[in-house]
Amino acid sequence: MGLSTAQFAFEASGLLKEMYVPIMAAILGISTLKALAVSGWYMHLVEEPRAVTYVAIAAVIGVIALTAGAAYSIT
Amino acid sequence: MGEHADGHLPPKSTVKRWLVTTNHKDIGILYLITSVFVLIFAGILGLLIRVQMWSSGGLILDGLGYNQVVSAHGLLMVFWFISPFGFAFANYFVPLQIGADDLAFPRLNAMSYWLYLASILLFFTSFFQGATFTGGWTMYAPLNVPAFIPPVAEVGSLSAILGLILFTTSVTLGGVNFLTTMYRMRAEGLRVRDIPLFSLSVLLTVWMMLFAFAALLAALIVLSSDHLLGTTYFSTEGSGALLWTHLFWFFGHPEVYIVFFPALGAMAEIVQTFSGRRLVGRKWFVIAMGLVAVQSFIVWMHHMFLTAINLPIKSIFMVTTIGISLPFDLMVFALIYTMIKGRVRWKTPFLFVLGAIIIFIVGGITGVFLGAIILDYSFRGTYWVVAHFHYAMASAAVALVGAVYYWYPKMTGKMYNEFLGKVHFVAAFVGFNLLYFPLFVVWDTPRRVFQYSEAFTIWHRVASVGAFIFAASFLVMVYNLGKSLYTGDEAGDNPWAYTASGEWAVSSPPPLENFPGKPSYTTGELTFEDSGVADGGVAEGEPAPDGGAATVTEHEQHADHASWWPMLVSLSALITGLGLSGLETDYFIWPFLFAIAVFVGYLGVEGGRRDGFSPIHGLYIAASFPILAAFGLVFHLHHGIPAGLFEGGKYFFITIIGASLGSMTLISLGWESFYVPEPELAEQWPFGEVENTKLGMWMFLGSDIIVFGAFIGSFIFTRFVYGWQPYFHDAAYVHKPTWPGLLNTYILLASSFTIVLALVYAKRSEKWKALGFTSLTFIGASAFLVNKGIEWVDLYFHQGWTFNSDIMGSTYYLTTGLHAAHVVVGMLILLFLIARMFTGAYMGEEESQTIEYFGLYWHFVDIVWLFLFPLFYIL
Repeated sequence: MGLSTAQFAFEASGLLKEMYVPIMAAILGISTLKALAVSGWYMHLVEEPRAVTYVAIAAVIGVIALTAGAAYSIT
Repeated sequence: MGEHADGHLPPKSTVKRWLVTTNHKDIGILYLITSVFVLIFAGILGLLIRVQMWSSGGLILDGLGYNQVVSAHGLLMVFWFISPFGFAFANYFVPLQIGADDLAFPRLNAMSYWLYLASILLFFTSFFQGATFTGGWTMYAPLNVPAFIPPVAEVGSLSAILGLILFTTSVTLGGVNFLTTMYRMRAEGLRVRDIPLFSLSVLLTVWMMLFAFAALLAALIVLSSDHLLGTTYFSTEGSGALLWTHLFWFFGHPEVYIVFFPALGAMAEIVQTFSGRRLVGRKWFVIAMGLVAVQSFIVWMHHMFLTAINLPIKSIFMVTTIGISLPFDLMVFALIYTMIKGRVRWKTPFLFVLGAIIIFIVGGITGVFLGAIILDYSFRGTYWVVAHFHYAMASAAVALVGAVYYWYPKMTGKMYNEFLGKVHFVAAFVGFNLLYFPLFVVWDTPRRVFQYSEAFTIWHRVASVGAFIFAASFLVMVYNLGKSLYTGDEAGDNPWAYTASGEWAVSSPPPLENFPGKPSYTTGELTFEDSGVADGGVAEGEPAPDGGAATVTEHEQHADHASWWPMLVSLSALITGLGLSGLETDYFIWPFLFAIAVFVGYLGVEGGRRDGFSPIHGLYIAASFPILAAFGLVFHLHHGIPAGLFEGGKYFFITIIGASLGSMTLISLGWESFYVPEPELAEQWPFGEVENTKLGMWMFLGSDIIVFGAFIGSFIFTRFVYGWQPYFHDAAYVHKPTWPGLLNTYILLASSFTIVLALVYAKRSEKWKALGFTSLTFIGASAFLVNKGIEWVDLYFHQGWTFNSDIMGSTYYLTTGLHAAHVVVGMLILLFLIARMFTGAYMGEEESQTIEYFGLYWHFVDIVWLFLFPLFYIL
């Protein structure tokens, strides 16, 4: 929740407007950290056989391939 | 439903058997018959195309009719015929080949079939709603959005789209089921790499299906939203058309291999059997299949060389496309070399497979032309493409016809007439090549229209004659197989020498329980360790002892239960889809709000009936009345009662019936006792220690990651095209709802924590604490929705920012709406769990797993929000 507040603070403080790209990277990085925490402990991926994690990673790679490929294709 | 609680299925001679069966072999037969019916219908549409092409300008159809026929032929053949045809064999033979009693989730398997049938019926309905979809099987934007669809086809087009959504749902359930089965239920001693080639090809197919169809599902949900809610994703200038092609072909290219792989696996098995030797380079053949499965996701843009994508990305995808042909070369050479090294027996299955290999080689080589950017500029949109993909994809159908002959003796116990089989092959092979090869010669004929140069007439007529020869050849097969069923010779357990897979180790047809003992591959081939019925189950024809649902008695040790609910849930989906196809935008949400009241009330009624009436059931029944009253009041304020009810029209009432029936049937499905034992001894690498249901949930989540990812990817793509930073600055709202977004993040994270606590206390059998934290999770979810509702009402009504105000509104409402729909589904499941926990269910280390599975879903919904919050509320 603290991390979510930090994300919000970036926007509320006006920092996002001043340094859009680095702050955007920080905000999305924080989301990734939170997602890793939830999947690792709440969904206890850390305790499951590694293959279960690979299923999720494979899907995420698929999403990244689609998004990056499509975005890069823009003329 | 109670009469089959003993798990005994009615005899095959009764209609009831086929409505309630969950046995994998029965379902395989249902898939086979249904897909052949689709083949006949789509084949007739194909013949109509060839009659129309007899002369330039056409013979029998007008423009609208021709567009319908071409579109429906493609959609039916690609989606509803070839893949389910292959999966008929997958259903029947994969458990037999890997030594499993059934699939991991037999009821889910039945549901896959019934949803498949419902999707076909919904698609067929579209023909009777004015006209069906007319924009081609690729459904390119903007031909797929209401503004560009002929008014007469508007309702039918949405039926076709919703039919595809049902089909995609069916495929996803099937994918989860097969993956869980093949990773968790292999007989002792059967390593993944040693799985028979047909089953191995199915394993790779379902991996591709799980991810590729999820992208299609996302595309179809967005498309149906453009129809039902008026969002503007695919009609937005600049991004809309390209976005559809990206999403469609990210699915569409793997789909080529999804269609082809089961046929490839059957080809490999048949070549092995009739060459009398193991596949040459088997290891490399398997590696090549794996490579293709991975590479299939990085070649999609070769279908887009003629769109506005940039040259560097075209070049990259040309390279990846040429690259994917290499593993195929290896596989084709392996098949050919196996024939050379072996001693070929020229039986009908082998002839069809040989024919399929030749056809595939032609299809593959002509496809490489299309992978080269500069050649594609000329060939795209011509009959070169038509000829190429029919050679490539129909080779799968030809190989699977060989598989019909190969496995017919096993499935029926009878041998077909070999001479007639060969007659069929010769006629089919000649007809096929007469049909499609001339299309290469007249490749300059434009696709999807029936005007062409007069000089091409003779070649088109040859093709049309070939089409009728090809179609007629199948009459020989129908006669041969039909007659042999009654008068054919007894086939015996193994009519072909040199077979290498497990299904030939059991009788023909295989018994209900599959194996005469516990299957094992420890000696390198399938053997059975015990005599008698596997797993202490019940053999067909024997009466089963009765027993309660709470204790695991002997009769529950096998998986062959009967259940009406898969069929009835699918019927509800069909009715709902039919209703939605003609529903006005203003009426979209109401049937589902009504169904929530039905859900809550019926949960109380059914729960009281199944678990014994307790206060929680009374509370649910009582709560359903104020929910219904609130629904009535809000509906009255919005539309007026009774005028609004009648203005909604017939589709409004159909949707209400479908959604309400869906609520009730899903609840009954959830409450039905359906115990499927996990095998005591099985190879489970790499998913040992992950129970079947948990693995199934993770596979589903893998698919859902792609669905949400495709939504988020669509947003990112659209935003990039628009310009990243100005995107929300230009949106037609007054202020961004950042605060509500932050509040909802807190709420959802907290609700994830409370469900973790509920699990902890359920494991310790502390019922009231577990129940308390589960209820808190429900309250958290409710708070999230209320907050979201306030946010939406403010934006939509007060600030006037609607679904179609701008593309920003479309992406915001639909993406956060999909997430909210997940929250609602979670809340409905929570209500079910709370009712059951109240009467003592889910307590203890083992039983609490159900809460854990729900928790996985809930945490995933939480994770998605963690990305939606910054993307839609901050950046």
